[in-house]
Amino acid sequence: MKAMKKTTLEISQFGRRLGTRLEGAAARRTLLAALDDLPPDGQLVLSLRDLDVLSGSFADEAIGKICQLLSSGLHGDRTLVVASPSADLVEDLSDKLAQRKLALLCRVGGTKGTWRVLGALARPLVDTLELLNERGSATTKELADTLGIPPNACHNRVRRLVRLRLVREEKIDTAAPNTQYRFHAIVGGLTARAG
Amino acid sequence: MRLTSETIEDVLDLVLVEAECSLDLRDVGSIDVYALLLLDLVVRHARESGAPLRVTWPESPSVRRWMTAMHFFVDVKTGLASRPAERNAAQGTRVESGGAANASERAAGSFALGASTLAPIVSIDREDDVSRLVGSFDDRLSDRYPMDESPRRRFLRILLELFQNIPQHANATGDVLDPHGIAAMHDDGHSVVLAIADKGIGLARSLRLCLGLRSGSSEQACLAQAGLEQSRLEQACLSDADALRAVVFDGRSRFRDPGRGHELERIFRLVRSWEGTVVVRSGSALLYQSEAGGDVVDVAPFPGVQIALSIPRAVFGIGEAAFGKGGVEPRGDPGFNEGNEENDA
Repeated sequence: MKAMKKTTLEISQFGRRLGTRLEGAAARRTLLAALDDLPPDGQLVLSLRDLDVLSGSFADEAIGKICQLLSSGLHGDRTLVVASPSADLVEDLSDKLAQRKLALLCRVGGTKGTWRVLGALARPLVDTLELLNERGSATTKELADTLGIPPNACHNRVRRLVRLRLVREEKIDTAAPNTQYRFHAIVGGLTARAG
Repeated sequence: MRLTSETIEDVLDLVLVEAECSLDLRDVGSIDVYALLLLDLVVRHARESGAPLRVTWPESPSVRRWMTAMHFFVDVKTGLASRPAERNAAQGTRVESGGAANASERAAGSFALGASTLAPIVSIDREDDVSRLVGSFDDRLSDRYPMDESPRRRFLRILLELFQNIPQHANATGDVLDPHGIAAMHDDGHSVVLAIADKGIGLARSLRLCLGLRSGSSEQACLAQAGLEQSRLEQACLSDADALRAVVFDGRSRFRDPGRGHELERIFRLVRSWEGTVVVRSGSALLYQSEAGGDVVDVAPFPGVQIALSIPRAVFGIGEAAFGKGGVEPRGDPGFNEGNEENDA
């Protein structure tokens, strides 16, 4: 699978203290435009560098609603991840995503920071995501074997991760009776931790 | 006599239940910031209802100075006819140029401002002004104290959510002439106290809007909506006390969007985790929650939502090791009115 194109957008362009839904809705329009400028499998990296405060309301309008759109498939296979200098900056974003039953990968710290899952993701899904992120890519069978679970159960987990745009899928054998897929991490082989 | 979140209810009982048209506050020796905002709204509400109150203001110079420093007299004397924009303009020039304050009040205000007033009363009318207002509160707090970053950021998120609730919810029906959203912040020597108040539609009416019911909902009205899902029906029938519990404890909102709601619930949990005190009043219900416990109790019906958050100074690292480390000495005076009495001498 060819490398996906990544574009980084600094959220501080909207201000250092991001608080209201009105401001969040305005920012969402810019973020969606940046997302649509990407190729169908591109990734928007939303950097929270230089941000002082990110409220739940702004985060929900600007980021939560985009995650909702992404999971509905309206923007193809495009993905969104967040890079935050600190964990406390994304606390309310995580709560809002959980309210929407969505999840998002966030790198906390600098370029060598830790990947975390913001929002709501059940422990089995986190385990599967961690494994895939460590491997970079895998088939359902490979993941199921390692996790020690039935392939069908693993398939359901990975489908959910794909729908949340936390991993990407690639058709690898369309001639087989059932189309075969390979699943790819979207965050460069780092471990994702719940949280 | 102290006017606090508890004793201000006596004032509301007098005015709203016993229909008293005069208030004698001469002996008031201290007022907390929540009581100050409620007093502001009660005086304004009475005037707008065509039965203006005759108020004898506190005689204590320190209390009057503090009220002046909090821009109380400027705000409360702003006329019925004035529009929110005019009020903001008056407040933007602060008490010094406020037409309602006399020279001695202005001088007193300047004197008392440095003692314990963290942010005097500001109007919250427009959502696009919220970030600026929160910024001004942040500046005042940060200028006064060296603060720990993480709690400061959390506190700013509280301000952002509570401030924008007023333009978003206080007049959601569009039939409130002036919900008069106001906020102020004070340091009482132990805690940073934030008060936010309006006399808009309140929590119960706001929740009823999820059904498009624009006026007081009766049981019959609820039954007429029999085709609606049960939880929505229940929401339409909520009393003030039930609505308050639904919003603060269950995170309910009038919006169907799953991303909406839960703000007051999150704020309540956060402030309680800091061992702070939360007061939420709406309509005829009052929630008072502190270390000693809490409950929702019946109070005199009054429009809108009034909130007070009292957060221990230690949460922000205020007054702990900062002075010894060469930081700024905290200047909040213990028990502000008593502290100001010392200034009288």
